[in-house]
Amino acid sequence: MEIYLPIAELSMNVFVLLGLGAAAGLLSGMFGVGGGFLATPLLIFVGIPPAVAVASQANQVVANSISSLQVQWRRGNVDLRMGLVLLAGGMLGSSAGVWLFTYLKRIGQIDFVIAVLYVVMLSTIGLLMMFESLNTYFKRRRNPDGPRGKLHTHYLVHRLPLKLRFYKSKLYISALLPIGLGFIIGVLSAILGVGGGFVLVPAMIYLLGMPTAVVIGTSNFQILFVAANVTFLQAATNGTVDVVLALLLILGGVVGAPIGARLAAKLPGVALRALMSLLILLVAAELLTELLRTPSSLYSLGNREVLP
Amino acid sequence: MRSLGLLACLAILVGATGALAQGPRLESVPGARPPPTIGGSPDAIAPPSVPTEPTTPDLIMDLSRARVSITSAFQGESILLFGMFDPPGEIVVVVAGPPARETVMRKQRFLGIWLNTGRQAFDDVPAYYAIAASQPLQRLLARGAGGEILSLEDRLSSLKPTTPRDAAELARFRAGLVEVKRREGLYPAAIGQVTVQAGRLFRVDLPFPSRLPEGVYDIRVYLLREGKIVAAVSRPLPVGKVGFSAQLAGWSAHEGVLYGLGAVLMALLVGWLGGALMRRL
Repeated sequence: MEIYLPIAELSMNVFVLLGLGAAAGLLSGMFGVGGGFLATPLLIFVGIPPAVAVASQANQVVANSISSLQVQWRRGNVDLRMGLVLLAGGMLGSSAGVWLFTYLKRIGQIDFVIAVLYVVMLSTIGLLMMFESLNTYFKRRRNPDGPRGKLHTHYLVHRLPLKLRFYKSKLYISALLPIGLGFIIGVLSAILGVGGGFVLVPAMIYLLGMPTAVVIGTSNFQILFVAANVTFLQAATNGTVDVVLALLLILGGVVGAPIGARLAAKLPGVALRALMSLLILLVAAELLTELLRTPSSLYSLGNREVLP
Repeated sequence: MRSLGLLACLAILVGATGALAQGPRLESVPGARPPPTIGGSPDAIAPPSVPTEPTTPDLIMDLSRARVSITSAFQGESILLFGMFDPPGEIVVVVAGPPARETVMRKQRFLGIWLNTGRQAFDDVPAYYAIAASQPLQRLLARGAGGEILSLEDRLSSLKPTTPRDAAELARFRAGLVEVKRREGLYPAAIGQVTVQAGRLFRVDLPFPSRLPEGVYDIRVYLLREGKIVAAVSRPLPVGKVGFSAQLAGWSAHEGVLYGLGAVLMALLVGWLGGALMRRL
């Protein structure tokens, strides 16, 4: 069954889009990340213009994060103070990101920048996660009841000014750090159409040293508002949000997420993380070959401008 | 009483010429677009009251659809163009989409990575261009210039680059433009021949792909005799989104702020309800 997407200006199979949404939802249920990092490249592969894919995916992220936030909030897993500080950076970052996106689109380099950013980010995170999960696996096998390490280590970032106390996260760190992190995630969110959970979650654990329990909820909180900001700005400045496309992705995601959550409950965490890192590396490899392979056509068309 | 009769006579005459000016299905010099009415009755064209008109051969045409409507189920469309002409002669059909400025980008390998390094904008690029004839086109046009009938190559060779560049490079970008448009089905290479039946009935299918720029397309049918245009008719074909798609696209283009707010609200609502619902199950 085909449906015409009014902003993307092409027709596409409904079930392909629902399936994509479900796959993204599955990931988000399993790993607590939005799945946008997988859905956006796939949307571009199937022929949606990158600008529309990114903006509509941001719209999907809004729905996805409100639905996870519902649960996290009720369980008290949101560090509101940390969330708001992150959000301050996120709002700035996403606004700057939308501006940068518009500029890159005008000079015709947006596709390239999207692809390169994805390759760099996905391969870094994929490799980090893979090493981390393998490490944990072997350590545990060697010493199953060994002593747990310190909560977190102290290094340079704890010496920055503007220190704030984050009670729920049991942290006393400079506000500049979460603001900066939020800013970067905001830029990524605007350019790549991802919530940024797959960068934010590891960064909150390893960089900020937040307890894992509040990480997912707090990142969901920040992502919800950043994605809403990106959706709004993309619609207002570029007119690239396709609500029909977004709605199909959302409906797919609504079905996929609880299935993912149920699967996650049955599988051990280490295996889950190894699986996820493999998936991330796979997407990165695919995007890299796209960049390196001689394209079937050297030519493409930019914006069509109807002159008065 | 006599003057009244004279006035009436005059009125009839003016009415007849007026009708001629309003609804000509025939034009010796095509250019003016007649209103998109269906058909066109041949008897209205040369009323006996105007004996001074040069006799142009009959040429009428119509389309299976008066417009291309991009609905939410749109997957491209094929429109049948058909008509009748006074034999002998050959028929040429030219369909041109609305012109716009297009930017062609070229990829180059840079440090092992393929990225856009060259770009060239052209003005007056037709969004769509298709040409068909009842005989091989080269033969028809070579014989002595169909005048204004341009093959795709001729049409594109007149494109104005927005910035100057050497001719060889421009030719390469022009070829790139055609390549992309071909791939998107917007410059169909062969829309098939115009088939003629019973010596005077012609028809041809016009293919339109799903990714079709909006605007008013111009359809022209020419009757050629010995390489000369002896009659021509033209017809605008509006292409546009209708219904829900049109509404959404319109909001997105003109009411970006409201559209953005709506999109966010929609996502919040569906995400909230969907999440709550799925957890019940």
